[in-house]
Amino acid sequence: MAQTHASGPKQTRRAVLVADKIADKVITIGGVLVIAAVLGMMVFLVSEAIPLFKGGRVAAHDRYTVKKADSPVVGLSVDEFKTIAARVDRSGQVTAWHAATGVAIKCPSFDLGQNRVTASAQAIDSRYIAFGFEDGTVRFGTVEQKTEVMNRRDLPSGLTSLNERDSSDGTAVFSFIPGDQIRKTWIELQLEDPIAVSPSARPIVAMDYRFSRFGERPVKVLATIDDQRTGTLLRAESKLNLFTRKVKTDVDKTHLPQLGNGAEIRHALVNELASSVYFGEKSGKVYRFNTRDVSDIQLAETPKVTPDGVDLNVFGYLAGEGSVVVGGSDGSVNIFFLLRRDDATTPDGSVLVKTRVFAPQPAAVVAFSPGQQSKMFATADVAGGVWVRYGTSTDTLVKIRCSAVDSKSAERIQLSPRGDGLLSVNAAGAADLWELDIPHPESSLRTLFGKVWYEDYPEASYTWQSTGATDAFEPKLSLIPLIFGTLKATFYSLLFAIPIALLAAIYTSEFVSPDVRGKIKPVIEVMASVPSVVMGFVAALVLAPIVESWIAAVLLAFVALPCSMIVAAYLWQLLPPPLALRMQGLPKLTMMFMVVLAGTFAAYSLGPTFEWLFFDGNFRAWANGDRGGAAPFYFMLLVPVMAIGVSVAASRLFGARFSAYMKQVPPFAAAALDLARWLGIACVTIAASYLLAVGLQTLGFDPRGGFVGTYVQRNTLIVGFAMGFAVIPIIYTLAEDALNAVPEHLRAASLACGATLWQTAIWIILPTAVSGVFSAVMIGMGRAVGETMIVVMAAGNTPLMDMNIFNGLRALSANIAVELPEAPKDATLYRVLFLTGLVLFAMTFVINTVAEIVRLRFRKRSMQL
Amino acid sequence: MSTNPKSAADQVDKPTSPPPPKIQAAPLHKAAVPVREPEVEEDERPPMTPVRKRSYAWDFRAAGEPFVWGMGGALVIGILMIVGFLIFVVYNGILTFYPEPLYVVKLKDDKQIAGELFRTEVYKIEPDALKELPDGVRKEIEDQKGFAKRNLYRIGNFDLYNEDFRWTPTYDIVETSTPKDMFFVERIEWGPFVGRITKLDLNGQIIPGSDLTAAALDQAVAQAAKRRARIREIERTEMGEVNHYLEKGRLGLRKVALKYGGESPEYRSAKDEYEAKAEKWRSRHQELTKEADSIKERDGKYTVTLADVNGQEKRLKLSDIVRLYPANALTATDKLRIYLSRWWEFLSEEPREANTEGGVMPAIFGTFCMTVLLALAVAPFGVVAALYLREYAKQGRIVSLVRICVNNLAGVPSIVYGIFGLGFFAYLVGGSIDQLFFPERLPNPTFGTGGLLWASLTLALLTVPVVIVATEEALAAVPQSMREGSLACGASKWQTIKYIVLPRAMPGIMTGLILAMARGAQEVAPLMLVGVVKLAPELPIDGIFPYLHLERSFMHLGFHIYDVGFQSRNSEAARPMVYVTTFLLISMVLALNAASIVVRNRLKKKFFAGHF
Repeated sequence: MAQTHASGPKQTRRAVLVADKIADKVITIGGVLVIAAVLGMMVFLVSEAIPLFKGGRVAAHDRYTVKKADSPVVGLSVDEFKTIAARVDRSGQVTAWHAATGVAIKCPSFDLGQNRVTASAQAIDSRYIAFGFEDGTVRFGTVEQKTEVMNRRDLPSGLTSLNERDSSDGTAVFSFIPGDQIRKTWIELQLEDPIAVSPSARPIVAMDYRFSRFGERPVKVLATIDDQRTGTLLRAESKLNLFTRKVKTDVDKTHLPQLGNGAEIRHALVNELASSVYFGEKSGKVYRFNTRDVSDIQLAETPKVTPDGVDLNVFGYLAGEGSVVVGGSDGSVNIFFLLRRDDATTPDGSVLVKTRVFAPQPAAVVAFSPGQQSKMFATADVAGGVWVRYGTSTDTLVKIRCSAVDSKSAERIQLSPRGDGLLSVNAAGAADLWELDIPHPESSLRTLFGKVWYEDYPEASYTWQSTGATDAFEPKLSLIPLIFGTLKATFYSLLFAIPIALLAAIYTSEFVSPDVRGKIKPVIEVMASVPSVVMGFVAALVLAPIVESWIAAVLLAFVALPCSMIVAAYLWQLLPPPLALRMQGLPKLTMMFMVVLAGTFAAYSLGPTFEWLFFDGNFRAWANGDRGGAAPFYFMLLVPVMAIGVSVAASRLFGARFSAYMKQVPPFAAAALDLARWLGIACVTIAASYLLAVGLQTLGFDPRGGFVGTYVQRNTLIVGFAMGFAVIPIIYTLAEDALNAVPEHLRAASLACGATLWQTAIWIILPTAVSGVFSAVMIGMGRAVGETMIVVMAAGNTPLMDMNIFNGLRALSANIAVELPEAPKDATLYRVLFLTGLVLFAMTFVINTVAEIVRLRFRKRSMQL
Repeated sequence: MSTNPKSAADQVDKPTSPPPPKIQAAPLHKAAVPVREPEVEEDERPPMTPVRKRSYAWDFRAAGEPFVWGMGGALVIGILMIVGFLIFVVYNGILTFYPEPLYVVKLKDDKQIAGELFRTEVYKIEPDALKELPDGVRKEIEDQKGFAKRNLYRIGNFDLYNEDFRWTPTYDIVETSTPKDMFFVERIEWGPFVGRITKLDLNGQIIPGSDLTAAALDQAVAQAAKRRARIREIERTEMGEVNHYLEKGRLGLRKVALKYGGESPEYRSAKDEYEAKAEKWRSRHQELTKEADSIKERDGKYTVTLADVNGQEKRLKLSDIVRLYPANALTATDKLRIYLSRWWEFLSEEPREANTEGGVMPAIFGTFCMTVLLALAVAPFGVVAALYLREYAKQGRIVSLVRICVNNLAGVPSIVYGIFGLGFFAYLVGGSIDQLFFPERLPNPTFGTGGLLWASLTLALLTVPVVIVATEEALAAVPQSMREGSLACGASKWQTIKYIVLPRAMPGIMTGLILAMARGAQEVAPLMLVGVVKLAPELPIDGIFPYLHLERSFMHLGFHIYDVGFQSRNSEAARPMVYVTTFLLISMVLALNAASIVVRNRLKKKFFAGHF
């Protein structure tokens, strides 16, 4: 370069230098960017999954003082946009204020007349409230934040601005919402006529109220108890007549058996179906009535839900009514399930069981508010602490303190309908509104990877069930069944693929002439390019029905094919040596084809007989455990194990002497002897396996319910076949390459020393190439772990946790493919699916890295040889 | 070779069996574990026995014949599986469209069914069903260990029977015949009809089925097909265009409203302009509707009355018939003609009947577009990254680490790329594009959901490691001496790469690219997340500006197989379609792979020729 520079006219053209510079920069920057982008995938997956593990936080906190209540607070509600909050007190007085600032909003009050309120209840949907009176009557009411969306130009003038979103005219709040519109919110009250519930017209002491909607029919369920300890169950169903537009309300009233003397009832609880009624004493004793059949109401049990000396302060349902929350005066918070138990002593066979224990609060729990759309709930203690918790995970999401500790603790707390805010007030008028930011309360390490006791489940379990029909559905997001499914599919497919692929690779590399190898290898490589969707289709729609009909023949084939190969080998030994030598190449391979076909045909034609002999004529019934014994199946499993054991024992005992003897007899006789030896071993194997199998059966072992069991059409066996089909070419090609890469001089040296091909292959080539072969298996495994379409189509997609090879499974990859299209963006399910993607990514990345490192080591070593 | 007498004779003084391998294995183990090996060796060596001279003997253990057969068996099973699989796919793919005879089957209960024999299978009869059979039949089946044979007939006439396939056990069949006058009628709706033609009504001119000539029938059907095509052209293409412009105008108006506000003078003038245009389009729409209605009215007067095998009649418009033929009266040429016309329909038409009939043209087109876009995206990125890794980056620990990572990414499951594509491309990038450029269409996403572009990019990301690895290998195969020679002659680095390295590496790069396309074309799982749909209303390329619509969702052959095979009303009826689609997809992928092998072989020849 320096010379050209010096000799003037021969200077490098500027364009060349500029092009070189540009190419330099473009390629460097571009290359780094491409690699960064490809590697950035993992970063993106992580960033999408991380919010799952972030708990909640308080986004904003507003505190203010509202008008003091004249009597205890009985109801508190806030609308879903957290615009207006309303408080109801015992005298029927309703106070409303702007939720964020505390500015009073004018609203009417309930006119309860002269009748004194002695008890009250608010439904989970906080708009619905019920009052119980001293004369034994009840009245239903609603405190509703009505909303109306209107055009911006209809906004009235003369409004006072409350904050950047809201302004008010004193009776309603106007909020600016996206799309150039205004939402008007105001309070409306409704009060129904009194209904007498107490048979003796005594004051109501405790009550609980449920409000539900089945289509257009609102159903109100109310449980009350009066001071004579007589409970009443009331069910009011309103029907709308479609022609007259009149609402007709049917009221069913049922009195419950009177409770014994001395029962000092403080709490009542009833569910939407009105099938269970609970009354709780202060001491923690609970009376549970089974009211499923109103003509036969039983007091089912009277368990004590708090320890001795601890008062029952909070007793309520979570949304969905599967969980009963119990809060004690010692600060404890627990959840009970009503579960059906076989060993229950109660008349209805169900028992209240403590299933979830929450972190206790430092002081007595006094207030409780269930979330309206999820298993979230909040509890407040006398010291002013408010903890927001999540039922399924038992995690505490947020801990906050009321500002009113000095005067009195929160008397009433209320989670906003969407679970994104919490309101607390006390009688003195001190109020707080917390804006909560808890995007993914359902997910935590415990719910994703741990055993969780879900509602209505008899015990803690790993379960995946991401979506349900209603809001009250409890999402079950355990990844364990999916990981298990992936591993199960991988295990069974490798069980099928590894032997075939490795044996075939050794044979191709060591026993076949190069030109035959050159033809065989591309044929198997074609397998690698078959789209997996095609394999899935063939497996699920063609193979699965055939295997279902011919299951016995398929099982028999696993025994018949190896046996036929061995028998053929011993017969081959009988051939005169010169002939055998001449037929070494293609003719031998052709013979092998014939033998495999013959073995398959034998399995096909013997299948039905085999089914009669082993599975009592019907494999599916046998697998269900309906008929037949365990011995034949154990026998089948034991035969290969025993065969190895017996052969090893035989060669240890007289192997050396036998082969020394064989060397002295003519070849044909030796071959016949060898065949006889094998037959002998086979007979011993069969006899020993049978004895052991019968022994196992008598001892009471049964494989059914373990790794065999109920047969479903799309099962792991099919997946194993299809995925094995996908994995075989990968393992085969890589393993064959590794075996081929062993330097030729090793092979030559071994053969020159007099070793046979078989000895060379097994003692020289395989040990040298073992790391390459291992890496081939690992890469095959990586492919099996991530394979999607085959498992989507052929695995049945049931997220189960059993080893049964005849049952379906749901793999991580299939789960993503099935559920992601339905998952709303940024919802918990969406992020959990990203997490499963990350798990899959991590699994394959680790497997492939191990394979790659082993492979590099192998390459280095084979270079040195 | 193992039983070679010479080699056996050479093993003259060998103590019994195990030592030969041991002795040879020893140096090998030494290389791996040099320290421990000697002791182990000494411990395990059997006590020396007096060496005995052997004249001529056999050592079957050394030959390991059973093991060799076991390995050979595994290879044979592998080959049989792949060959069997390919034969199955090709056989079904090729034969599906061949017209089959129609059988009229008389059953034991005096009922008749007519249809194509679809499949025959041996099945295991349920014990309860077995009990209810007459004695003779039951005994026969019990002799067969509970297995019986049954035929699946495609009886068609779904609108009459509510099923179009029927399993018939062979023991129920009394006799089977193939009458010449049975017709197989493929319809636009309801699947095929199997039966006889009672009469033809051509605008009042009534021809009874017995007087009908094949030529007249063909002519009537062909005319009806023309009417159908015209109606379709009006309703889809011409009205579609009108609707497209109306919608475009509306969106333009909305954009103005969003930009300047709904009360602004700009909005008012835009609105006036829009109203004037819309008026024109609407009147055009009415004209088209009128034209379509008049053709439809005329079309309604050409009908055919069919009767099933039991005489139940069904009248339908001639234009509802795709194809009809007397299945049992066909000559070989007729059959071939029908076979080819079905293939043509399959390759050139759109799907009907929830994708179970008709063609797969949109899916072929979608697969093609996606693969081409994928190649366009993957080629520059993959090559640039490989050039950087091989020619520019300093070879060291970090680069080899990056190389391992890139290799590994080739093994990351495709579904993971799918989630990434959905989350990153569609939602993040696409969402941002929508907010910046298409605010008037929100909340309906334009780019903010799966589509052709995102699917191609996702698959490009999936296949970029393949291209990087292949390109790197090709670059490495260019001898260093050539680079040095070029540089020594005074060429710059870029000139060397451009004129010396890249041309020699080109076949290798092309191989990688073709392999990437093959992998991309066969992948389905990620596409399910980023834009493939079961039925795309519009093709990604059409005559409306900007001609190539990257945001549209598309159809794909692989997904078509999944969808038709698993999501359709009747998986039996869908099966022919799945077989043929499978055949098509496999041929496509294998052709791409074969192309890569050819290119690879050419590369090898070139490389070796140049090197030595």
